[in-house]
Amino acid sequence: MTWECVIGLEVHVQLGTNTKMFCAAANSYGEPPNTLVDPYTLGLPGALPVPNAEAVRLGTRAALALGCTVHPVSIFARKHYFYPDLPKGYQISQFEEPLATKGAVNIESPERGPISIGVTRLHLEEDAGKSLHDRLPGRTAVDLNRAGVPLAEIVSEPDMRSAAEARAYLTLLRQLLVYAGVSECSMEKGTLRVDANVSVRRLGEPKFGAKAEVKNLNSFANVERAIEVERARQIATLEASGRIAQETRLFNANTGTTKALRSKEESHDYRYFPDPDLPPLVLEQRWIDEQRATLPELPAAKRARFASVYGLPAYHAATLTLEQPVATFFEKTVLAGADAKAAADWILETVLTVYNESGTFPVTPDRLAALVLLVKAGTVSKQAAKAVYGELLTTSDEPADIANRLGLVQVSDAGALGKWVDEVLAAHPGEVARFKGGEAKLIGFLVGQVMKKSGGKADPKAVQPVLQEKLSG
Amino acid sequence: MKAAAVARDVAARLTETDSIGLNATLDWSADLLDREAARVDAMPAPMPLHAMPVALKDNIVTIEQPSTCASKILEGYVSPFNATAVERLRAAGAMMACKANMDEFAMGSSTENSAYGRVKNPIDHSRVPGGSSGGSAALVAAGVVPVALGSETGGSVRQPASFCGIVGVKPSYGRVSRYGLIAFGSSLDCISVFGNNVANAAAVLGVMSGHDPLDATTSPIPSLPLAPVDLPDLKGLVVGLPREYYPADLDPGVRAGLDRTIAAVRAQGAELREVSLPHSKYAVPTYYIVAPAEAASNLARFDGVRYGLRRLKDGDDVADMYRRTRGEGFGPEVRRRILVGTYVLSAGYYDAYYGKAQAVRALIAEDFRKVFAAGVDLLLTPTTPTPAFKAGEKADDPVSMYYADVFVCAISLAGLPAMSLPVGRSQGLPIGAQIIAPMFAEQRMLAAAQVLERVVSATEEVR
Amino acid sequence: MSGISRDDVLHVARLSALEVPEAELDHLVAQMKSIVAMVEQLNEVSVEGKATPFNAGPTQAELRPDVVAPQPLAHPLAAMAPGFAGDFFAVPRHTAMEEA
Repeated sequence: MTWECVIGLEVHVQLGTNTKMFCAAANSYGEPPNTLVDPYTLGLPGALPVPNAEAVRLGTRAALALGCTVHPVSIFARKHYFYPDLPKGYQISQFEEPLATKGAVNIESPERGPISIGVTRLHLEEDAGKSLHDRLPGRTAVDLNRAGVPLAEIVSEPDMRSAAEARAYLTLLRQLLVYAGVSECSMEKGTLRVDANVSVRRLGEPKFGAKAEVKNLNSFANVERAIEVERARQIATLEASGRIAQETRLFNANTGTTKALRSKEESHDYRYFPDPDLPPLVLEQRWIDEQRATLPELPAAKRARFASVYGLPAYHAATLTLEQPVATFFEKTVLAGADAKAAADWILETVLTVYNESGTFPVTPDRLAALVLLVKAGTVSKQAAKAVYGELLTTSDEPADIANRLGLVQVSDAGALGKWVDEVLAAHPGEVARFKGGEAKLIGFLVGQVMKKSGGKADPKAVQPVLQEKLSG
Repeated sequence: MKAAAVARDVAARLTETDSIGLNATLDWSADLLDREAARVDAMPAPMPLHAMPVALKDNIVTIEQPSTCASKILEGYVSPFNATAVERLRAAGAMMACKANMDEFAMGSSTENSAYGRVKNPIDHSRVPGGSSGGSAALVAAGVVPVALGSETGGSVRQPASFCGIVGVKPSYGRVSRYGLIAFGSSLDCISVFGNNVANAAAVLGVMSGHDPLDATTSPIPSLPLAPVDLPDLKGLVVGLPREYYPADLDPGVRAGLDRTIAAVRAQGAELREVSLPHSKYAVPTYYIVAPAEAASNLARFDGVRYGLRRLKDGDDVADMYRRTRGEGFGPEVRRRILVGTYVLSAGYYDAYYGKAQAVRALIAEDFRKVFAAGVDLLLTPTTPTPAFKAGEKADDPVSMYYADVFVCAISLAGLPAMSLPVGRSQGLPIGAQIIAPMFAEQRMLAAAQVLERVVSATEEVR
Repeated sequence: MSGISRDDVLHVARLSALEVPEAELDHLVAQMKSIVAMVEQLNEVSVEGKATPFNAGPTQAELRPDVVAPQPLAHPLAAMAPGFAGDFFAVPRHTAMEEA
């Protein structure tokens, strides 16, 4: 009895606008409760929605980055349910005519290799406020700061078959949306939220099994865990001849389990209808095309270009293009004269760690390029370069000046080298004789001695030929 | 200090109407009137509506007074913002006189559905003033104020204007901002105007009209002028008489009033033409699907969480609080409409009811468009099938009450501008004639009405 | 479309979060039946194709620039709210929506 797990993901992304979706209250984070409110946010009688142009633009760009068709006409619809953090008793969303449909993203599945995951739709809607159950004893506290923030809801096709694939999809989705500049996509800050629809069926069974909607997932790792836990639960239930209920379940990260919400009432009849307060959202095809044309180069294309134009191996290309700022940093470094491979190495080994921790770059592309050029020219050894780099972080001096100051400038001048070589040859006649007698390996020892004599300043690459020459004389 | 004198006069009249028990107001104070007057008297130059006192239907929000929609669920609710219409009126020098009683949440045709008691028709206290803007109509009819704001969703200004013998004007949908009008049927609602004459109503409409960035359903067309064009007669105008609005069993008083008006129209030089609006009989059923659906949605926000009434018993969870608050806070007609509205939007019923109604609505609008496109400039019909009925007469029969709007609600569905003009009395009760114009052709309608106002007596017995 | 039943009325009452007292239910159902019967006259009309919702307003939405400019509130939230504590709207817990 082999089971197949079927996973679809619903992702809500907060768009990076200044104001909310349908009113001019601020879209901001971390403010005192109920301060980012206005009559519309509060659902006061007589208030009316007016759509945010920037939210429409960012939603469009998100949809295009996911390969969707953006529809010139889409309709806002009301979705009704009662909850204390939903001020109007309905959420303005989109239903039968969403902003965009039929996209797809290509992920690398650990089990199945490169596959395409369909994006069923992307639509615009407004966020709800927050209900806090432990702020006021015995009561629920409602904060409407978040109510009305613009969201893009992105629904995938049920194309994923494992928790790992789900994670890969989410990772790519996040990358694309950050590249497109539409959202910071942070699960910690709540600007990206994920619900997972999980079902199982016997391998080969054409129909889908009943699905559970799993919520309360606060990290990609927990999405993976929750899917695995839910998959196991469903299989165990079915194997024990039980039934899977179509329901909402909450993931508990502490216990590592999913649990059904207490109430199974009102499988939701949202009573969608087109919002009579909002005329249709009409976008000119020309404008949509312009948005597509002005999208930044997306990760897949950038990776391919880095591999072909810069000759970078796949791992380097992938790592450098994970985040657009890093890719840009790399390209600027190369533009400033650095060799691509060397620049890539430097960035991957040193710059990236700092960027990943702090979000800032410890050096400028120009200065890094200058250092790379110094190494290439042989002015400093790779070893010495590390010390110079360290100084780059704390001073604003140029690498060449630092190298000089620290006395790390390598000597490659044949004359100066020759002097040290002569001294070493004179001090080690036995080794010289043995070398001339055929022990070629002793060249390494002699180079080492020259390095010692020079206090590390000799360029080992330049020492060797001088030694060779003097030894053969 | 002209405004101060006007304010004192209005206060005296309001006191008198209170003492005779018209129950037309829900909130007013001499103090507020005085402050409004002081504000206007301090204005540097004479304004378009200088010192004009305006009564506001209680579903139009203001900062200084409660806005209850005549409902218990909003008892004592004071809005923290003003309606755009109010801001524009005040900027033009008008004074907010009082908040007027109404059918609860604008649902009704008699102002008997108010949680704060019914309003009496000033012409005959045993009869209704019409609804839902009955309080506003009564205040103008009683001479307390020259103009009052009401709202229309399915005829709630024209019908009371007809019952009270005053002018009532509904603009085109999207002409006046709904920002600050407590919503009932969002695709139908229009802030509308009662006036003691056409000129005053037109002036108020002109000041309020025009695009509002706070209301996405306002049209970008320019606002209306403050005064109608002054026509000497109706020469050159083609006036249509839709046969569906002149049934054989029309009330004889209404028929006589319309006959007089038609004769006057002819005498003034207009061409009369019989036309047909074939889908007219579907207007009331269509309306009673669309309006309740939108109402059920718009009233979902009244839940006791952020404002208004909250009803809570020990042990209630928040779902209980919602049910108790809404069950006790809404009156029977509002509850009925919410239930009908929820029903027609619910899963499995949407296409059959709401979807169908919106399609029929398009057919109704198309009827009007065809007639106007065939060279008709205005339509003339009765406003109501009967004069004002007695209080309590239709209280137990919701469907009969709905049919009080049979001649006015198709126009609301089509979004067209229309108005009621008083054209006489039948056994002392006012009769109203309705003039309907094409979309955004208010000027034509008001100009024609002003001509008729000169030549047709509003108070003479019609037979 | 075949009229509204007592169960329908109870169902939509639940959906609308409206408490209908038992004593009023029969009368209410009778009234709802007559209202629904009246609106079902629309069965007589045939319409072609998929209904596009009719709206008399503008044909396309005018969008708002993304500039922070909230409409000010003349009265504080605490003055309007039936339950307000520590800057939050305070309501009873929603036991049905919490984890079992």
